[in-house]
Amino acid sequence: MGSEFDFSGALITYISVIGSLLFAIITVSVAGSFVVGGKTGPLAVLSILRLAVEDWLSTSPRRIWAITKLTILEAIRRKALLVGVVFAVLFLFAGWFLAQPASDPEQQVKVYVAFVMRTIAFLIIPMVLLLSCWGIPEDIRVRSIHTVVTKPCRRQEIVIGRVLGFTAIGGLLLAIMGVVGYVWILRQLDAKGRERLVARVPVYGKIAFKDREGVDQKQGINTGDEWMFRSFIEGGTKSRMIWNFEGLDAFNLETADHLPMEAGFQVFRSYKGNMDRGITCQILVVNPDTEKRAVAPLVTSRDQAGKIEQTDNAFEVKEFRENLLQLARRVVDDEGNELDLFKDFVSKGRLRVEVLCLPTQQYIGAAGPDLFVRLPDKPFVVSYAKGLLGIGLLTLMIVVIGVCASTFVKGPVATMTTFFIVLVGATGRAFLDTIVDAKWVGGGAFESIYRIFAHLNPQTELPSTLPFKVMQLVDGAGVGFLRSVRYLFPDFKFFDLTPYVAYGFDVPWTNPVPPNSGALLPSLIITAGYLLPWIVLGYFSLRLRELEAK
Amino acid sequence: MESESVIEIRNLTKIYRDFWGRKKVRALNQLTLDVKKGEVFGLLGPNGSGKTTTLKLLLGLLFPTEGEVKILGEPATNVSKNERIGYLPEETYLYRFLNAEETLDFYGRLFNIPAQVRKDRAKELIEMVGLKHARRRQLREYSKGMTRRIGLAQALINDPDLILLDEPTSGLDPLGSRDMKDLIDKLKEKGKTVVMCSHLLADVQDVCDRIAILFEGDLKVLDRVDKLLVDEGVTQLKTSQLPENVIREVEEVLKRHGASLMNVDHPTSNLEDLFIKTVRESKERPGQRHVADGKPTAAS
Ligand SMILES: Nc1ncnc2c1ncn2[C@@H]1O[C@H](COP(=O)(O)OP(=O)(O)OP(=O)(O)O)[C@@H](O)[C@H]1O
Ligand SMILES: [Mg+2]
Repeated sequence: MGSEFDFSGALITYISVIGSLLFAIITVSVAGSFVVGGKTGPLAVLSILRLAVEDWLSTSPRRIWAITKLTILEAIRRKALLVGVVFAVLFLFAGWFLAQPASDPEQQVKVYVAFVMRTIAFLIIPMVLLLSCWGIPEDIRVRSIHTVVTKPCRRQEIVIGRVLGFTAIGGLLLAIMGVVGYVWILRQLDAKGRERLVARVPVYGKIAFKDREGVDQKQGINTGDEWMFRSFIEGGTKSRMIWNFEGLDAFNLETADHLPMEAGFQVFRSYKGNMDRGITCQILVVNPDTEKRAVAPLVTSRDQAGKIEQTDNAFEVKEFRENLLQLARRVVDDEGNELDLFKDFVSKGRLRVEVLCLPTQQYIGAAGPDLFVRLPDKPFVVSYAKGLLGIGLLTLMIVVIGVCASTFVKGPVATMTTFFIVLVGATGRAFLDTIVDAKWVGGGAFESIYRIFAHLNPQTELPSTLPFKVMQLVDGAGVGFLRSVRYLFPDFKFFDLTPYVAYGFDVPWTNPVPPNSGALLPSLIITAGYLLPWIVLGYFSLRLRELEAK
Repeated sequence: MESESVIEIRNLTKIYRDFWGRKKVRALNQLTLDVKKGEVFGLLGPNGSGKTTTLKLLLGLLFPTEGEVKILGEPATNVSKNERIGYLPEETYLYRFLNAEETLDFYGRLFNIPAQVRKDRAKELIEMVGLKHARRRQLREYSKGMTRRIGLAQALINDPDLILLDEPTSGLDPLGSRDMKDLIDKLKEKGKTVVMCSHLLADVQDVCDRIAILFEGDLKVLDRVDKLLVDEGVTQLKTSQLPENVIREVEEVLKRHGASLMNVDHPTSNLEDLFIKTVRESKERPGQRHVADGKPTAAS
């Protein structure tokens, strides 16, 4: 759907960025050392590379674990874990302010779950940021690092050990706070609210529309909303909202007596009508291969034993809440033939569903995610744990950036740098992308400057003589540089999984819904991709500097 | 009898620079020095003469401005050389939130020593440095001497071949410094090489085979201690108990040969005299340096 995370594209970009970065670094250092030191310069660069390879080949898990353990012990003995206590106290008081027992259970769940997860994130993130940015600089300042690096401890082991240690602290806090938060949510909710704690597993379809003449359209009607996320169909016409579902084989089709779906349609009334009754809609199921179609009977009541007692061919849209729809398996078509929803309409896991609105001059509207097949729910704990894992991955990223920054500069500067990178990564990546990927009218910086002084408008062709060629080449390099630099900022939007959990959905691995929001696999991949380069950078920084407090 | 060099220092110069790369101090100037396997080598000099700087350059903690260092046959920047080195820093830079056992366990891990060996060796070393009663206390509660002792223990955790001690006896009580001297003797017996900086000249004289005296980064004196302390102009007699009349007779004999009896006392140490003389001369006549053949000459 929409912008899925493009894995192969990401991998290619990754390799090309890392490759060009390496190439640039090596070229610059070889050339620079040649200028400074003559022939011995490049040789020195080579010997540094050789030493680096040796160092990395001698990496020892035992030494890494020693540093990790040291880091954890330090945090514990220096009472950094007091934050956990702060968190518990905060929960005790937060109940008073958030208490709203009268509001509906769904709203309660949203508020409490979001509150707990955001609080956890906002407590852990600043703490690991500070810890990771001050660890190594403090080690250098009091020179305890001298006793470590005069042992056979390799510099990358220090970096990795520190990263693991701080992440472990973050993880530990995350686990403790997660459990406390979970218990707190359970206690705050009444019985009805607790029932709403679910992790729904949706299968989304691709949406399409037909207008009132029955002609295919990408979108429905705009009823005057500026934001065209949802578009509408008119009642009593040939207008339709159509969803094409795939991958329904995941649902156990053999034993079920219905297909569970959930709808969240919006209503637009052009006249008031009976406000006590909702707008009625109908659902048609269509076999995408044979085009066989029928009205789907919806289960309205079941007997004691749970068998279907009654079905209805239409349903009323209740706005601003989920409408649970059970499409009965037994379907009767226009000619009165009895059919099987799963056998006669689902074909290779695909099913088309068409929704129409019955009353004339009333409208219903929806966007892609507003109708989905609801696979059997997972326990709430699952989505909650996945949401926490998202916070954990974010923690790891911040730790890696913080530790790497702290190998270059002192604590305060490292903190500012890391904070800046996280801030840009969390809020400004999209903006950066639009700037860098935009087509630059009138060329890059130097060309623009030239055009301003030469009073040339952006469309004027420049003479293709050497000076202009060089100018454009330099500009091109500048843009290329900017394009690479933006990758310094990891795209943190993928890490925010809280909305899924709060809204009662399972956290998806891929295919984020809505598009451009979080998902687990992209955040895992981003983390993995950034981990090594940052660590290598930290290694070289520690290796090439005198570890003397200045 | 030329034995293997454990440390080779060639024309080593270190200039400390500030953040902007401006020259601050020339801490070491064209130092050339060898330390042989199995010897105890003493680095002497007034405060700020470059002793600690030399050790840090040897360990690769600092990078030389000029010149070269080879230690155990490897360049100083190779981390693998550390496997066989033990280092006691000038001030004991340890993690103050660890206790003695945890400290040794931590450094043992850095040598990739298996758990059981680590435990045994830690126990042995803690006992050796006399901290058994305090082994579970965090180092932040330790006194200076106690910290020094645990620092020494961590320097020996890997049973090193080369031990670099920066002022090992500073902060130690008389018993402690006595133990330290015994330890150095024991290490020497085991064929280990020891390089130490110290201001306690009596200690140095007792344990060191060779010494170097630095002054403001320049090497002033370098030789065997016994040779340096021999005053060719003086002959000292040491005999069994002599009666009064025999002493008078000896005096008579000496007089006859134009010499005089100067001292019939026990001999005393005079490394102190040598040190003070060197420093004083260096101040009066700057630029004079030690060169390979042993005689001081004026630097170019
Ligand atoms: N990190 C540093 N930055 C700038 N100058 C330094 C630094 N460390 C040492 N120095 C200078 O280098 C010179 C030699 O210092 P070093 O510590 O080697 O002396 P030392 O012989 O060990 O003295 P001490 O007997 O006091 O320990 C001194 O002038 C000192 O000020
Ligand atoms: Mg010193």
